[in-house]
Amino acid sequence: MVNDGAPDIEVVAQVLGGDGEAFGILIRRYEPGLLRFATRMLGNPDAAADAVAESLVRAYRHLAQCRDPGRLKSWLYRITGNRCRSHLARRHMNDISLSDAPPPALVDGTDAWAVLERGEQVALVERALAALPAEKREAFVLKHVEGMSYEEMATVTGARIPTLKMRVHRAREALLAALEEVVR
Amino acid sequence: MSPLDPRLQEALDGERDPGDLPADLRDAYARLNAVTHVLKTTPPVSVASRVMAEIRENPAPVRRGPARRLIHWLGRPRAVTVRLRPVWTLALAAGLATVLLLPWSNGGPTPGVAQGIASFVGHFPGARSVEVVGSFNDWSRGVLHLNDDDGDGIWHAKAVLPAGPHEYMFVVDGERWVSDPLAGRYVDDGFGAGQQNSVLIVRPVSAQP
Repeated sequence: MVNDGAPDIEVVAQVLGGDGEAFGILIRRYEPGLLRFATRMLGNPDAAADAVAESLVRAYRHLAQCRDPGRLKSWLYRITGNRCRSHLARRHMNDISLSDAPPPALVDGTDAWAVLERGEQVALVERALAALPAEKREAFVLKHVEGMSYEEMATVTGARIPTLKMRVHRAREALLAALEEVVR
Repeated sequence: MSPLDPRLQEALDGERDPGDLPADLRDAYARLNAVTHVLKTTPPVSVASRVMAEIRENPAPVRRGPARRLIHWLGRPRAVTVRLRPVWTLALAAGLATVLLLPWSNGGPTPGVAQGIASFVGHFPGARSVEVVGSFNDWSRGVLHLNDDDGDGIWHAKAVLPAGPHEYMFVVDGERWVSDPLAGRYVDDGFGAGQQNSVLIVRPVSAQP
């Protein structure tokens, strides 16, 4: 029996030993980040919940294929990222709820950044993020929202570190440009 | 869209102290930090109960302990490993082909009508152990070991498998997952990062000459 604080590698061994309930520990551990990641990738909370649920079930079914349980987090993000890409490939961009939302009402440009945390500004940021190409959006979210190192991101995405740095840099430029355009 | 100042990129990458940035770049730095702060909001939903319900309803095959594996293997004799004394000619052939379908004529288990015999061969000089995991054994370790009795680095094993396609990988020294370089067919493992499973197509014995 493992407890909630047990290292991933021990929990994985417990699950593979037949204790399916132990998988709940891993869900509690990684679900918030995976949901956040998927929501930012898909721009739709319902689709994100579906993607994460499907990814976790898939991860459970194929847990024996996790070649390095010590890096389970990267493996789970990789599966979820793939699932998000599948969702994106299957639907048109106008299915993204943010695209259907009216442009947010903006406050005066001088004060705009100061009130960025306000609820009405969330849609503005999410809209700018949703406008990025998926691979740049993924790189930006993994780096700045999930706080991953470039090495972890490489494991998750399969892309090379210089490529990921370039994607993050371009995403930052695009986000700043998009937001300044609106606030101006 | 103009390129961001490299100093700002460095600060955002944690490679430069943001306090050293000029005022205009510090402003842009603060803006992007505000953006990420907004995006870090965790959605107030959970899929845990839904996932666990699905898991309970349809439990996945588990990695069994030795005793349970033996019972499982005896109860469902899908794959049988046969240790063969290696012959020199096979060792040479092994360098060219990893998966061979050979007639079974030395008294081993007789494949059923819808089964065939698969031979797994790999060149892993210096390896301490080599095994095969795949769709035919639920990707479970410790089920199908390859042997290198003469220590020449050529590892091999045979198994009776259901006819049809199977995905597999070699696991070397218990930790290194390796695609079969000579498999001829590969499929994405579905987990991204460009990893590929090898594909073996087992022909039913009845179809073999």
